[in-house]
Amino acid sequence: MSEPIIITKALTKVYGKKVAVDHLTMSVEEGEIFGLLGPNGAGKTTTLLMLLGLTVPTSGTATVCGYDVVKNSRDVRKVVGALPEFAGLYEDMTARENLLYIAALNGIPKRSAEERIMALLETVDLVSESDTKVGKFSRGMRQRLGIAQALIKDPRVLLLDEPTIGVDPRGTKEIRELILRLNRERKLTVITSSHLLYEVQQFCTRVGIMRQGKMVAMDTIDNLSKNISEKEGMRLEIKVDRMPPELKMDIEGIPGVVSVDLISDRIFVQMVRDVSGEVSKSITRHGCNILLMRSNEHPLEEIFMKYYGE
Amino acid sequence: MSGMFVIFRKELADNFVNKRFLMIFALTLFLSIASAYQGANSMRESQLTNFLAIFTTGTSGTSFISLMVLFGPLLGLTISFDAINRERKSGTLSTVLTQPIFRDSIINGKFLAGAATLSAAILGTMAIMMGISIPLLGFGPTAEQLMAILSLAALTILYLCFWFGIGLLFSVLSREPSTSILASIGAWVTFSILIFIISGFVVDLVAPLPYRVVVPTNATASMITYERTLMETRNVVSNMISSISPAYLYSEAALTIMGSTGGAFSFTGFRVSMPTRIGGPSTFNIAEALSSTWPHFTVLAICLVVCFVVAYIRFLRYEIRPGG
Repeated sequence: MSEPIIITKALTKVYGKKVAVDHLTMSVEEGEIFGLLGPNGAGKTTTLLMLLGLTVPTSGTATVCGYDVVKNSRDVRKVVGALPEFAGLYEDMTARENLLYIAALNGIPKRSAEERIMALLETVDLVSESDTKVGKFSRGMRQRLGIAQALIKDPRVLLLDEPTIGVDPRGTKEIRELILRLNRERKLTVITSSHLLYEVQQFCTRVGIMRQGKMVAMDTIDNLSKNISEKEGMRLEIKVDRMPPELKMDIEGIPGVVSVDLISDRIFVQMVRDVSGEVSKSITRHGCNILLMRSNEHPLEEIFMKYYGE
Repeated sequence: MSGMFVIFRKELADNFVNKRFLMIFALTLFLSIASAYQGANSMRESQLTNFLAIFTTGTSGTSFISLMVLFGPLLGLTISFDAINRERKSGTLSTVLTQPIFRDSIINGKFLAGAATLSAAILGTMAIMMGISIPLLGFGPTAEQLMAILSLAALTILYLCFWFGIGLLFSVLSREPSTSILASIGAWVTFSILIFIISGFVVDLVAPLPYRVVVPTNATASMITYERTLMETRNVVSNMISSISPAYLYSEAALTIMGSTGGAFSFTGFRVSMPTRIGGPSTFNIAEALSSTWPHFTVLAICLVVCFVVAYIRFLRYEIRPGG
């Protein structure tokens, strides 16, 4: 396996007395979409700023594409496209003028910049607005233009800080699809911070949950869910059209079932192994129909609250 | 390096469409032209031949030099007071900083663009003044006078760049453009107006005038000497205090270069003096004037460098923090 594209070792940032990021050690593989989760003030933004070389770590190291974020911060910014928190574009300039300026700052010659900008505006679906002043853009459009701005240098890594904050649901969906497409088509590694769990669940291959500057969990959402299931046991939720009393006893008899509870019209089965097959057979044997049956893959929210609440 | 040039170009373009700057520039340009026109007219009427007088006189009561003392700072401040903090606030600074440029190229590019803008404004204004005066007068400056005019241009640009530097410093130090504009106006009022009120106040404390100011006809020699020393003391004290102000330094040096002796600038900013050496170019020596104003140039340059260096260091140390 190749070297991870982002590696941090005991990365720490202290503002005055407050430890914003506390000995953060993590790595991100090329091609991943990594979600940094955590409540406000958990240190997500600071972590991203340090990865960009905009904030100098108090201690610890971080490398992006092999470049040290402190010693080679300019090289880091050559390979990392970023949409920082509250990043803005020039309101009195059009979308295209903004991108041209950013391209010039990246040392891209004007002629090739023009071509690249047209392609990028297409990617972020802003071609029709290319000559509109950014001051007239909606929040979602600004964010998409912000992503286009980050992509102009043809980066290997994209750092996004709350890319959908304040964006309406449709805009959010567009941004999400854009990120997924970029990841697929360009093999772009994406690190995005968010506090919107549902959104992260939609596209992140791996998440890290931060709390008070520390990484409290870091894995795929499936694995995190599994970890909780191992601790808490598995649960099956079933809704049937009829509920004969002997059915409950029947299910209780299945090996591996710990308990069966009837709560309103649902049956909740606590189990130590996956017994869903046997349970459904037993239900049909009693001539009942299953209207709904699901095992509790712990939703991210539950995972998050588990790690955060501890 | 290329990053600095890109920023320089953008800032330069922005300065020339900056409405506040254009307004103040239009005002100074208009007043300068009016003063050159009236100056040239009055010179023609009184048969004066010193071309430099178009920069020191104006029958409207304003000369180019006193205009620059008063409005020059505003020209510099309007394009610099929010140079950094506006970009910080709107988030464009974050966007620019995530590009692979050296951080100092931002502040360097902005400063150079400001200096270029102010130079263009001053050189343009002076060229227009001369272009109006030469046909009216029927003669142009001698070689030596041209040297003096160029020196005046250099001095004026230096003075305006100093004010640009002050504004730039405020824009780095304060987060809010509304704070830095107040600080800028405060500095402008203090150095261009208040300092002369203060110096007048201190002079009256240190060397108050006696009730009787007019020397009677039967005055003894000692009374006349006393009167004279008192006035001299007042002058020295007043100059000492005023010379803290770059505005005073500028006007003193500018008038010396123009071959006119002091006093063109008082706390009202509009007192006008005529060139004292009207006799013509032969009695005026630009080399002498420059060597005697060398300290003024140096002090203004040092003030400018101090402002810029403090702004530069603070800007390089500025850290982007969560929360903007």
